[in-house]
Amino acid sequence: MRRLIVTLMLMLGLGTTSIFAGGFQINEHGARAMALGGAFTAVVNDASAVYWNAAGLGFLEGSTNFILGTAMIAPKSSFRGVSPSVDAYYMENQVFYPSHFFITQKFSDVISAGVGLSTPFGLGTKWDEDWVGKYLAVETELRTFSAPLVLTFTFGEQFAISVGGSYSWADVLITQKSPLTPFAGDAFVHLEGDDMVAFGYNAGILWRPSDVFSVGASFHSEVSYEFEGTATATGPSQVSSQLPQGDITASLTTPMNIQGGIAVRVVDQLRLSADFQWVAWSSYDTLAVDFKDPNIDDIASPRLYKDSYIIRFGAEFNWNDDISLLGGVYYDKNPVDPQYVNPSLPDTDRLGFSFGVDANLFENFGLTASYLFIRGDQLTVTNSKETYTPGGSPFNGTYNSSAHILSFSLYYTIN
Amino acid sequence: MKKILKSIMIFAGIVLLLSACEDFTKLTAPPVNTGTADFSRFVVIGNSLTAGYQSGSLFESAQKYSYGNLIAKQVGTTFEQPIVSDPGFGSRLEIKSLDPFTLVNNPIMGTPQNLNYPLPYNNLGVPGALLYDVLNATSSTTCASYVFGGVPNPMFDLILRNSDTTATPLSQFQQAAALNPTMVILWIGNNDVLGFATSGGTSPSAPTDVNVFEGLYNATAGAIASLGADVVVANIPNVSSIPFFTTVGPQIAMGVPWYQLAALGVPGLFYQEHGNVGPSQTFADSLTLLTGGVLVTLKGSSYASLIGQPTGKFYRDFGFPALPPGIDTTQAFGVHPLNPWPDALILDPGEITTVQTATVQFNDIISSAAETYGFGLADMFSFFNQIRMNDFTGGTVFDGITFTTFYVVGGLFSLDGVHPTNQGYAIVANEFIKVFNSKFGANIPLIDVSAIPGSLNFTGKVRFENGFAQFPKGAFDHLFF
Repeated sequence: MRRLIVTLMLMLGLGTTSIFAGGFQINEHGARAMALGGAFTAVVNDASAVYWNAAGLGFLEGSTNFILGTAMIAPKSSFRGVSPSVDAYYMENQVFYPSHFFITQKFSDVISAGVGLSTPFGLGTKWDEDWVGKYLAVETELRTFSAPLVLTFTFGEQFAISVGGSYSWADVLITQKSPLTPFAGDAFVHLEGDDMVAFGYNAGILWRPSDVFSVGASFHSEVSYEFEGTATATGPSQVSSQLPQGDITASLTTPMNIQGGIAVRVVDQLRLSADFQWVAWSSYDTLAVDFKDPNIDDIASPRLYKDSYIIRFGAEFNWNDDISLLGGVYYDKNPVDPQYVNPSLPDTDRLGFSFGVDANLFENFGLTASYLFIRGDQLTVTNSKETYTPGGSPFNGTYNSSAHILSFSLYYTIN
Repeated sequence: MKKILKSIMIFAGIVLLLSACEDFTKLTAPPVNTGTADFSRFVVIGNSLTAGYQSGSLFESAQKYSYGNLIAKQVGTTFEQPIVSDPGFGSRLEIKSLDPFTLVNNPIMGTPQNLNYPLPYNNLGVPGALLYDVLNATSSTTCASYVFGGVPNPMFDLILRNSDTTATPLSQFQQAAALNPTMVILWIGNNDVLGFATSGGTSPSAPTDVNVFEGLYNATAGAIASLGADVVVANIPNVSSIPFFTTVGPQIAMGVPWYQLAALGVPGLFYQEHGNVGPSQTFADSLTLLTGGVLVTLKGSSYASLIGQPTGKFYRDFGFPALPPGIDTTQAFGVHPLNPWPDALILDPGEITTVQTATVQFNDIISSAAETYGFGLADMFSFFNQIRMNDFTGGTVFDGITFTTFYVVGGLFSLDGVHPTNQGYAIVANEFIKVFNSKFGANIPLIDVSAIPGSLNFTGKVRFENGFAQFPKGAFDHLFF
């Protein structure tokens, strides 16, 4: 059995170069949590607790727990405009594979620890090179990787806390076009950068007064990235000296998250859970790219995200000893004021519906498969501050987005 | 196993069901209020400005932005044009280098794309058409340039397509009539003065006679009025508001060391006044060149770098069989009376007066015809004069972009210095739309000029001398207006 897991790990390990996802925050850190609509901080009954709420590590069965899996995210977006036109443009289809891997170990009745790797934030959008919003966004990719290390203190049967730190790294790619009017054609601008060292910290708390009721909360700090990279621009050779090129720096702070939840076993076979997640998006106020060459104008585009929240509900039904059915629903409030919505991240209020199956395949070895459909609320922007022409015309129009997400996790327990 | 299969089926079913939720609500664009105007059969008649000609060529990527096509898109009507693939019909001017500024002609010819369209085109703008041609020209050899000057204009064959039919050849007007139009724009008469002006007053040696113009215009207007359509006409902009005439004179004023030449007894640029082909004592000092007291044409740019040198390049380039009597090309070009700046490259004060007088008279004729027949009038003369005046106070802003009439950098005019850029045509289209809106109680939205792409094309290598732009020999020979 161990060999199988190692093999799968290696396979997915090769795939980690293509871990990225639609939407800026990625809450796919395990198929079970996803199937429960993310209402998991008071549940945390597999090794993905290292991310969701590490206070739960001491309550896991067995001495060592593994979980390994991946999600397949297929986001879709369309833009209709620019108003008054209603021409439709569709984001190119891409599939992203954010993967997750966690190990937990009990060292004593009191002390447990966990490590892992997942992708807490990321986005990937790609529009046609010649679409109407080409001066705003063509291809945008952000990938963040986070490797948490957590330490858990369990006090008896009812109460546990955890603290931890995480090592994170990220890379970013932004391409867009730049007009050359009155000359024909466009320049193609390509910005690329990474930050290989960033740190964050986290904490968790879990209280289980009885077998039927638990309540938990977790905290993830913001993480500041300082990207360093290069800008390249291609266009007619006659204007090459005018194009923005050279070394760049850019900063990005991913938001603090506080999530709290309860889980109630209403009947023997059925457990319901509900969570509230606070996402301090206001840390992200400007997308700024600084050119080291002082002769090139820096790029600063206001984002002015607002703090936002997600409300989550989940249900787990134990069909029999080996099979559980999972279901969930959540509402994710858009952190972006509509006037700053940009096609690099066509964000709207989202509703997620999920379900899944958890099957104990062999002794100590199980599989969770889940599916999540996300429907973004139709968003019509009428007062856009995003401009799509050199004269500053507003990028007003109607966004629609949705996503299909499949997720699989394999888990293994050593007693 | 069955259970698992069943689960997978249910799973797939739910996925399919949710996929249906991707769909979004239908949106409809707000209807365009065209008032009492009916654009269902919309025809534009005119010359190169109507055809959407740019940078010395008629080509697809520019024709898409002809003012007629832009208006048609804005009101949502069909509009067929005589599309020619890039780089078009007429060796397009392209930029080899910005600094130093150098142009070339693209030698490749485009191919016509919809010669077989079964009806007359909605865009009946024929580059090079004179007023005479609207009612009379049906081919390259029945147009005014051939009938009166022996120069065939193949654009008529391309656009009117009479040669391949056995039916009676039809003129621009007759083809428009065949479409039974509901709305007509007529913008004609520019070439009746521009041909004189762009040749430095040499070919033809005078604008169309004002009485002839009046007779022809009234006949044309009357014929179009008889179609029963709504009609909007446009008048003729001032030549001194286009960069073909305003670019090189100031460059010579600034670029030639007149101060040092003055010490040698040279008072200014010696040039041939109207009709003179020999030596000349007439000169323009640097202030006159700078302020437009004389207008050096864009063709002169290639010769401006030769000022002060003993050269006869102009006479070789322009195919003179022998030097005109008295001309001595061993003398310093432009600064010696025996080798003066040629008449063909300059409008002297008398010629400028001739051009301006003709323009004003023609525009009076156009205005009174519009009044007689109840046509709308787009006053392009005043519009471009205002834009030209704004050049000296920072330019004119359209949809967030500042435009001037300055050559290349101004953004309004294409590389031939006469015809607008894509954005320039959008600005022109908006002037027509304003007339529709006021005359027909319409509320057609104006075109967002800043959403229109640029149209000055780049190409390969570089040639440049002494700070003046170098144009290939004959760069402006195929310039149809």
